[in-house]
Amino acid sequence: MMKSLRMISLAALASAFALGLAACGSSKSSVSANSGLNVPQGVQTPASESQTCVKHGGTLNALDHGDYEHIDPGLSYYALDYEAVYATQRPLYSYKPNSFKEPVPDLAESAPQISSDAKTVTIHIRHGVHFSPPVNREVSAADVAYALDRGFNPGVPNPYVPTYFKSIEGASKAKGGAVPGIKAPDKYTLVIHLTEPAGAIVADALVLPLSAAVPEEYAKKYDAKSPSEYGNFQVATGPYMFKANGEHKVLGTGYQPGKSATLVRNPNWNASTDFRPACLDQINISIGGDPTVIGRQVLEGSNSVQNDAPTGSNVKLAYQKFRSQLEISPGAGDHYVALNNSHGPFTNVNLRKAFWAALNREAMNKARGGALVTNVMTHFMYPEIPGFEEAGGLTGPKVDYNEHPQGDTAVAEKYMKLAGYPGGKYTGAATLQVVGNNGAPGPEESEIANQALKNLGFKTKFNLVDQATMYSKYCGVVKENIDVCPTVGWISDFGDPQATLDVPFNGKGIITSGTNSNWGLVNHPAINNAMEAAAKVVGIEARAKAWANIDRELVAEAVAAPYDWDKQASIRASNVAGVGDLWNVGYWDYNFTSLK
Amino acid sequence: MTRYIIRRLLWGVLLLIVVSALTFLFFRVFPTADPAKLRAGRLQSPKIIAEIRHGLGLDKPLITQFWLYMKGIFLHFDLGYSYYSSASVKSLIFNRLPATLSLTLGAVIVWLLVGVPVGIISAIKRRSLLDRAAMGTALVFVSAPVFWLGLISLYLFASDIGRVHVFPGANSYVGLTADPLKWFTSLILPWLVLAATTAAIYARLLRGSLIETMEEDYIRTARAKGLRERRVVLRHGVRSAINPIVTLLGIDIGVLLGGAVLTETVFNIPGIGRLNYQAITNSDFPIVQGTVLLAALFIVLANIVVDIAYAYLDPRVRYS
Repeated sequence: MMKSLRMISLAALASAFALGLAACGSSKSSVSANSGLNVPQGVQTPASESQTCVKHGGTLNALDHGDYEHIDPGLSYYALDYEAVYATQRPLYSYKPNSFKEPVPDLAESAPQISSDAKTVTIHIRHGVHFSPPVNREVSAADVAYALDRGFNPGVPNPYVPTYFKSIEGASKAKGGAVPGIKAPDKYTLVIHLTEPAGAIVADALVLPLSAAVPEEYAKKYDAKSPSEYGNFQVATGPYMFKANGEHKVLGTGYQPGKSATLVRNPNWNASTDFRPACLDQINISIGGDPTVIGRQVLEGSNSVQNDAPTGSNVKLAYQKFRSQLEISPGAGDHYVALNNSHGPFTNVNLRKAFWAALNREAMNKARGGALVTNVMTHFMYPEIPGFEEAGGLTGPKVDYNEHPQGDTAVAEKYMKLAGYPGGKYTGAATLQVVGNNGAPGPEESEIANQALKNLGFKTKFNLVDQATMYSKYCGVVKENIDVCPTVGWISDFGDPQATLDVPFNGKGIITSGTNSNWGLVNHPAINNAMEAAAKVVGIEARAKAWANIDRELVAEAVAAPYDWDKQASIRASNVAGVGDLWNVGYWDYNFTSLK
Repeated sequence: MTRYIIRRLLWGVLLLIVVSALTFLFFRVFPTADPAKLRAGRLQSPKIIAEIRHGLGLDKPLITQFWLYMKGIFLHFDLGYSYYSSASVKSLIFNRLPATLSLTLGAVIVWLLVGVPVGIISAIKRRSLLDRAAMGTALVFVSAPVFWLGLISLYLFASDIGRVHVFPGANSYVGLTADPLKWFTSLILPWLVLAATTAAIYARLLRGSLIETMEEDYIRTARAKGLRERRVVLRHGVRSAINPIVTLLGIDIGVLLGGAVLTETVFNIPGIGRLNYQAITNSDFPIVQGTVLLAALFIVLANIVVDIAYAYLDPRVRYS
C-alpha cells in the first residue's frame, strides 16, 4: 500500500489541468496500443529515449518537492527513493529503462534457476563487483544473503518482505539474524529454499532493492540498532554513492533530510560489469520548495530535471511551449473505487455492477487531468504488465456495465432490479460510509462517485481526509467497514501480474489487525483459489495467461469500479537528455540520463 | 523589574509545558496517520507493527511517553529522534535555525524601515495624496497572500524564471558563513515578500495610533512650548503611538522564528517552517513537537522582551 500511497499522491499533483488539453492528447498522436500509451507527437516516452550518453560528465541538478522516505536499500519503497537507490545500489536483477516485463541480470550473472518443484531458486553472482569505500572488497553471495536476512530484522521493517518472501524457509520465525532458507554455499552462489512452490514470484521480486548486497561485517553494528542506522552510513555497489564525510556518514553530508542530497561517482564501480552507461559525474538533489516554481525552473533552466511529478499547470505549460521536454510514461498505476465486498449493501454483486455502470469514469479522469495522463480503466491489470493484452487490453472485457465510460443509467437500473430493487433505486436502510482523499483531485473524484451512489438511491455519509489518514485509519482498517473508498490506487511492485492483482484482491491476504491493502475486502473463494494456483505457475507467458483469467473473474464479480490507468508526466531542461524508467512510473533514471 | 522578569520566565516555562502537552494530545487524539503503520509500510503483520511501535516507544501509556519526553528536554535537552531519518530532532532544528533567523531578522528590518516611516508620514500628512497613495498601497499588500506574492515576485524578478532578471530566485539560499554575498542576495526577494504584508499592517496601525496621539493635550502643550514640529512628532507623538507596534512586533518575531512556512516553501529556504510542514505530512511527531516547542519558546521570549521595552518607551509604565 505504501508504494501506492506515495506515488499515487505524487501522480495526483500532475492532475487537474485544462480539459482542452485532454482533448489535444487524442488528436494528433503516436499510438502504442499495447502499452495504452497515446501521446501527442513531440512528447517523449521511456520507449523513445536513447539509452546511450549524449555526453559524458557534468552535474545534473535534480529538483524535488518531496523528500526521500528511506535511502536504506532494505527499506526504500517509493519512486523517489528508487531514483537514488537504483543509482547507488545494484540488486540481483534490474529493468532497463524502457522495460517493465523482462528484468536483466544486474548483480547476478545470469537468470535465476528455478527448480522443477519451484521450491528452490539458485542465483550466480557476478564477479568483479566491489563495494564503495570504506569496504572496498568484492561483493560475494554472502553479502546478498545478509541483505535478504536483514529484511526480516524488526529494525529494518521492509515493506514487501511479508508479501513476496514469506515462503522462504524459516521466514515465519525470523526475528533478525540468518534465515535458514537463504544459503551462500560458495562465494558466487546464492540458494533460496522455499516452503511452497513460489519460486516464480520470489525470483521476480529479486528486482527489488532488498537484494542489493550489504556487507555484514560493516553493517552489523548499524543494524543492531532499532531502527537500523545502516542507511545513514551505507556503502554502494552502483555507479554512484551518497557523498559521505570522513567518518563515512551519509546523514548530514550526502543526505540532509528536507534539504538536499548529493550523489558522487563510486570510485570502485567497474563499468565492464554493468549495463548502465552512468554518464553524469555528479547529481545534486535539492529537496523542498514549491512544485510550481520548481517546474518553471526546470523548463526554463538548464542542467536540471524535476524529480517528482510536475503540477498540472506545468504539464500544461510543457505541453504548449516545451513539448520536447515533456515525457509521458504509461504503466504508472491505477485508481479504482473500492466497494466493500464483505459487509453492507455491496456484498450484492448486482449492486456492484450497477455502480460500475452508473459511474462516469470519463469525468473522473478529466478531474485527474484528462487523456494525456490517464486512460479509462476497463479492468484490473494495467498497461505494461504481462497479461494486460490477454485480459482485454485497453477496451477490456465485453460486459455491459463496462461499455459506457461516461456512465449508463439504463444498465445501472437493470442491475439494480436484478439486485432486488424493482424501482431501479436502492430502498434499503443502509447509509453508506464514503471516505475519500482530500488532496487534488480526490475531492472531485469522490464527489463524482458520491453523486453516482446518490443517483442509485443510496444515502451516504461522505468524508474527505488526507491520504495517509484515509489508508491507515479508514480504508485500510478492516473493522471500520468502510463501504466505499473512491480514491484508492495501486502500483505494481514489479512487472508481474501477481504483484498487480494478488495484494488488492486476494481474500486470503486480508489483514484484520494490521495494515490491510485489500481495501474492498474482496474475498471470493473461487478467485482466491485461482490466485493460489496461478502463483505457482512459472514462465512469463504462462503467468500472464493465468493471471489474465483471474482478471476476467474479477471483472465478472465487479469487485471494484475501475476508472483510471495512470500515465506519469515528467519534465526536464532542454539540455538534459533525460531517460525515464518505465518500471518506476517514468521517474528519471540517473544511470542513463546525460547532459547535451 | 528583576522580579517581574523572573515571574514572566516562570510563567513562560509553564506555558511551554502546556503547549507541549496540547501538541502531544492533539497529535494522538485527532484522526491522523499511525506512525508505526506508516513506518511499517504495506501489509506488515501486527507483530511487526507492534515491534516498531515498541521501538518508537509508542506502546507506552501516553502519560509515560509525555513524561519521558519532558524529562529528556529538561535534563538532557534531548528532543528525540525523527521517526523517518532517525536523525536527532535537536540537530535537525539547529541545522534549520540559521535560515529561519536570517529570513526573519532581515524581514523585520525591512518592514520596520518601510512600515514605520510610511505610517508616520501618512499620519502627519493626513488626507494628502501621499497618505492616500501609501494607505491604498498598504491595503493591497495587506490583502495579498504571502504565497501569491512570493510566486508573483519570482515570476517577475527572479534571475531564472523572472521576466526581468534581477534577484536570485528560489532554491538559491546559501548559509551566511558559506558565502555572505550570496546569502544576502538570495534573501532579498524573500525579505521583501515576507516584509510586504507586515510593513503594510504596521503602517496602517501606526498611522491610526499616531493620529490619535497627536490629538492629545500633551502634544498641544509641547507645541505651545515652542518645540519644533519634528521633535513633537518623533519624541512625543511616535514614542507613545508606537506601543501597539512593539506589541505586535514581539508576536510577529516569535511566530516567524517558529517558521515562515509559506515563504520558506516558495523560495525553498530550508528553515524551521518547512521542517515542521514536512514532519506534519509524515506524522513525524518528535519533529512536530520540537518545532512547536521552539515556536512557543520564541513567542514567550519575544513577549518578555516587548514588555521590558514598554518600560523604556513609555515612562508611565512601571513593573513591580
